[in-house]
Amino acid sequence: MTLRYIFFLAALITPQVARAHPHEFIDASLQVLLNDQGQALGVQITWVYDPLTTLMILEALQMDRDFDAVLTDAETAGLQGFDMKWEPGFDGDTYALLGTGPVEMGPPVQVFASYAQEQLTSRHTRMFAGPLTLGGQTLIVQSYDPEYYTAYTVVDATLQGGAGCAVQVYTPDLSAADIAMQAALEQYGPNEDPEANFPRIGAAYAEEARVTCPAP
Amino acid sequence: MPRALTIAGTLVAFGLVVLWGTGGLAVFETWVVAGQKDVQAALAGAVRRLRGGQPGALFGFLTVCFAYGVMHAAGPGHGKLVIGSYGVARRVPLTRLAVIAVASSLAQAGVAVALVAAGFWALGWGRDQTEATATRVIAPLGTLAIAGIGVWLIWRGGRGLWRRSGAAEVGHSHGHGHDHDRDHDRHHGQDHPQGEAAALDHIHGPNCGHAHGPSLDQVAALTSARDALALIAGIALRPCTGALLVLILCFQLGLAGPGIAGAFAMGSGTALVTLGVAGLAVWGREGALVSLSEGRLASALPLFEIVAGAVIVLTAFGLLAQSL
Repeated sequence: MTLRYIFFLAALITPQVARAHPHEFIDASLQVLLNDQGQALGVQITWVYDPLTTLMILEALQMDRDFDAVLTDAETAGLQGFDMKWEPGFDGDTYALLGTGPVEMGPPVQVFASYAQEQLTSRHTRMFAGPLTLGGQTLIVQSYDPEYYTAYTVVDATLQGGAGCAVQVYTPDLSAADIAMQAALEQYGPNEDPEANFPRIGAAYAEEARVTCPAP
Repeated sequence: MPRALTIAGTLVAFGLVVLWGTGGLAVFETWVVAGQKDVQAALAGAVRRLRGGQPGALFGFLTVCFAYGVMHAAGPGHGKLVIGSYGVARRVPLTRLAVIAVASSLAQAGVAVALVAAGFWALGWGRDQTEATATRVIAPLGTLAIAGIGVWLIWRGGRGLWRRSGAAEVGHSHGHGHDHDRDHDRHHGQDHPQGEAAALDHIHGPNCGHAHGPSLDQVAALTSARDALALIAGIALRPCTGALLVLILCFQLGLAGPGIAGAFAMGSGTALVTLGVAGLAVWGREGALVSLSEGRLASALPLFEIVAGAVIVLTAFGLLAQSL
């Protein structure tokens, strides 16, 4: 019996320790694109990097060497798409759900980057495979890094088109997220290692935009 | 310490562990992450002022680095778990554990400095290569040291339980432990040859700390320097990514000196938090022990070791899975 408690405690503690703290902070603005029929087409995502990460990226790109916080035109041109060469395994940190089912999104398009007030801003759009009829369901767009290297804050959510539709930023209910974490952990037996395929609980902690449209 | 105060330590420590383990500190963590974000922005400003050569910039930079160390240590981490578990498992004196906590934090900064210096100057590494080396090459070594501590604690605890049951059968038998023999070897090894003669003589030196029977003193036999080294290695060989990133940035900006000083300032900030965990572990452990009778105490201590050892080993597996 004691052993069971030991394993239970260890199972609770291990993922907490293994969960790294974030090293990049991004303020995300989400704009959901809708057509006249209230169908969702895609999402325009704007990321504003924290000043230290900005400094590191610029240093890696060898830009703003004079530290005047202004880029030359050539530098601005070279900056375009700096964070859009996604390595395999990185799926963009933006996730869409209709109801509870995931919605697939295309690669980043309409990429744009700028630098002002010591912070880098990067914007891209990701389209859904086709127009998405919400049909009374809530479309959820989340910003999170499953590995939590980057901490996203959704600072703004807006709509383009879609008359009658509404959007609001939703911050996670932490106690609900913790219940989800516990529930996920309790599925593991005492001899299983939760770390082996740890559920993507990050989603439960994600900040998100929620879009609803009136049913036609 | 008054008895009630000592026992309160157990409740505080246990409450914190349960809160943390069950995610009850999530709100606190949200606050910590917000603080980390603020400190990170302040750090960018400090680096800019440093680069601009403004007066007082170095002092400001070091202050922010210290705060960065505190904020990043306030979240979950392997160092706190290892120090905390070890402090619960072994009757290590507070001062000793405190020295280990501070030394490991500073050594962690030293490892980060050595890695970045070697990578940057000798191999021309940037951020990605340095981070990859830290997580794939160095961290697994630290994980091995951590796992070693855990296995050793379980082994100690198991042996303690086994001896305890043996002692109960034979009555009050002394059963001079191998522990003491090993201590003797260390203290007097040169004086007398190893073997039966030495064991029979069994001369007690002044620093032997030897006690007969399963008493407090016996179970609380001195912890070896090897423990301390393994603890320090396990913690230090997992350099904080934040320290690496700031070091690389400083090196790239031609601010190697301030960057190195900043890494140690971060380590000092981390040490502050780890020190708190060390204190809490000792307080909590003593609180639990003070409420036990001498007889139950002797069987409780090995259990402490086994539980803490299991937690450490499982954590090491988790960390290993993460770095592979």
